[in-house]
Amino acid sequence: MNVLLKSATIIDSKSDFHNQTVDILIENGVISQISKAIKNSKNIKEIHLDNLHVSQGWFDSSVSFGEPGYEERETIENGLRTAALSGFTSVALNPNTNPVIDCNADVSFIKSKAKKHAVSLYPIGSLTKEGKGIDLAELFDMKQAGAIAFGDYKTSIDNPNLLKIALQYASNFDGLVLSFPQENKISGKGVMNEEFTSTSLGLKGIPNMAEELQVARDLFLLEYTEGKLHIPTISTAKSVELIRAAKQKKLNVSCSVAIHNLILTDEALTTFNTNCKVLPPLRTQKDIDTLIEGLKDGTIDMVTSDHNPMDIEHKKIEFDLAAYGTIGLESAFGILNTHFSTKKTIDFLTRGKNRFGINTHEIAIGNKADLSLFNPNGSQTFTKENIKSTSKNAIFENHETKGQVYGIVSNNKLVLN
Amino acid sequence: MSELSVNHLLGIKYLNKKDIELIFETADHFKEVINRPIKKVPSLRDITIANLFFENSTRTKLSFELAEKRLSADVINFSASQSSVKKGETLIDTVNNILSMKVDMVVMRHPNPGASVFLSQHVDASIINAGDGAHEHPTQALLDSYSIRERLGEVKGKNVVIVGDILHSRVALSNIYALKLQGANVMVCGPKTLLPKHIDKLGVKVETNLQKALNWCDVANMLRVQNERMDISYFPSTREYTQQFGVNKALLDSLDKEITIMHPGPINRGVEITSDVADSKQAIILDQVQNGVAVRMAVIYLLASKIKQ
Repeated sequence: MNVLLKSATIIDSKSDFHNQTVDILIENGVISQISKAIKNSKNIKEIHLDNLHVSQGWFDSSVSFGEPGYEERETIENGLRTAALSGFTSVALNPNTNPVIDCNADVSFIKSKAKKHAVSLYPIGSLTKEGKGIDLAELFDMKQAGAIAFGDYKTSIDNPNLLKIALQYASNFDGLVLSFPQENKISGKGVMNEEFTSTSLGLKGIPNMAEELQVARDLFLLEYTEGKLHIPTISTAKSVELIRAAKQKKLNVSCSVAIHNLILTDEALTTFNTNCKVLPPLRTQKDIDTLIEGLKDGTIDMVTSDHNPMDIEHKKIEFDLAAYGTIGLESAFGILNTHFSTKKTIDFLTRGKNRFGINTHEIAIGNKADLSLFNPNGSQTFTKENIKSTSKNAIFENHETKGQVYGIVSNNKLVLN
Repeated sequence: MSELSVNHLLGIKYLNKKDIELIFETADHFKEVINRPIKKVPSLRDITIANLFFENSTRTKLSFELAEKRLSADVINFSASQSSVKKGETLIDTVNNILSMKVDMVVMRHPNPGASVFLSQHVDASIINAGDGAHEHPTQALLDSYSIRERLGEVKGKNVVIVGDILHSRVALSNIYALKLQGANVMVCGPKTLLPKHIDKLGVKVETNLQKALNWCDVANMLRVQNERMDISYFPSTREYTQQFGVNKALLDSLDKEITIMHPGPINRGVEITSDVADSKQAIILDQVQNGVAVRMAVIYLLASKIKQ
């Protein structure tokens, strides 16, 4: 693929062209020239887009599609298309499938489905066989097939000894272990944050402590094992403090936060809107303020949309019975860019790749073109029209968003809205 | 003519003070009607009401049915345990099937909090919440306040303690909202395991000593322990619960003043309340039941008049 991006403002603090508006010539998927007003002597396809901005390709560390087993929620094909049109060039795929991805063949299946796509798909293998939390899955073998990390998605590892062994075992081959932060006996039958709102709605609450106990436990196990741990989607102020202290002690820990947990409080549930039923649950403004602080000071390594397409049959029902999860790829940029500066938004969206062993590509001549294309200005309301996913369970439906995603250049392909 | 600010009765928290006053004034009229030799009025002759009970109920269901019949509405009843609905049909489909037979109003009891709110968002009928999980039971709270007003003249300024299993109680939540709206002072009392951690944020006092609570109050509303909603034991034994949170005659006699005792039923005699208290003149438990019919007639009548428009 050869393409000439005309008049693009580069947002990449690592690049020599940061904040410059230039033409970018891409030949065979590689950036061959960056300068003002490149002459198009080879008659290469030119891209002219209003107020075009370009950054390193965005990465999402927690995405679910559903294939195999839940194709009615989302397929890999349409999921990747959604990611591309939402500006993401790399996504880590949760084993949120049926059967779960817990062996070499499963990982290979996912990889083969994503081959030749503009978006790079990185499977996360299940930590335990069938995701049951009893015996370790063949982690090394899955890594050979391309799994970048291992975790049981939103199923907590109840048995601390199992996590101890997993952290020890995976450290043999520098494997990254994911542990979902929720102590299930404390969360009980809770379906939302335990606070004023849950009390007023009569819904069972999940106290912050359910998360913090698990985070504290996991950090103890990490200190003992000297393994490599990633805690996906934290949601409470105290979790930030615990992880901050662990990082000061040089423990090998990272964590992420879901974008909706950064923006929305549990008050969003007052109409029993099941699209706001997410795990970890939406918390309070105090938690949000501390999460943002943690994200800015690097305690929290990355943001994620925690994209989880869910069919309407699991959402248009009574709140207690509805499934958890929201889609988020489509709204990720527009929501972040509304609540943070564009500079911060791009910083958040490009973090975390290294932790998962994924190469980054600065915007420089001779480097692979791994680019997200967007316009940081202009506002619009996020509606069903903006949803590319098969499922329409969007927590940010009817929210105002700022900016517009044009598409991506990645894997020698150009995808535009 | 005055009318309600809402098209459904989903919970007390969706009402305003004027709504409650209007319901009580209308209930005064119907209370007079149901004590006449001819207890029926033709007000709702062209209205059809479906009583959908997805959870067991005896008193509430009978009370609603009687209220509907006294207003001359056509009534159909549907009872199903949640499990039979789970065989496949969704709540919306079940209700829409019934509505397609030209039903104007739905009275629903359901085990899940927010079920009536959810239904009101998706079907075209006036909805009355007859209890949804641990969320709200608005007609119970209305009849409780109505009964306090009847016994003590007014609700405003009265000290009301709700005793027992607050954690699993829709009656408690609706009562808190209703009493606060009318200017009463509200306290909850029970073992800490059965008090929601953040209940004080609803503007109520919290007390774990029953003697202190009773000394403070004008009215004690004794709730039943909802064993069927508990996933684990919240106290070691009924015996211990009664020792700490059961009201008996000796306890009442030890107080400085004569307080009013209420109970939404069904009573567990000897557990939260002894027989001599339940049957005493301080208790207005059977008045509550009678007022339930009048208050429900008022609610149905007022909502139906909005449908007619």
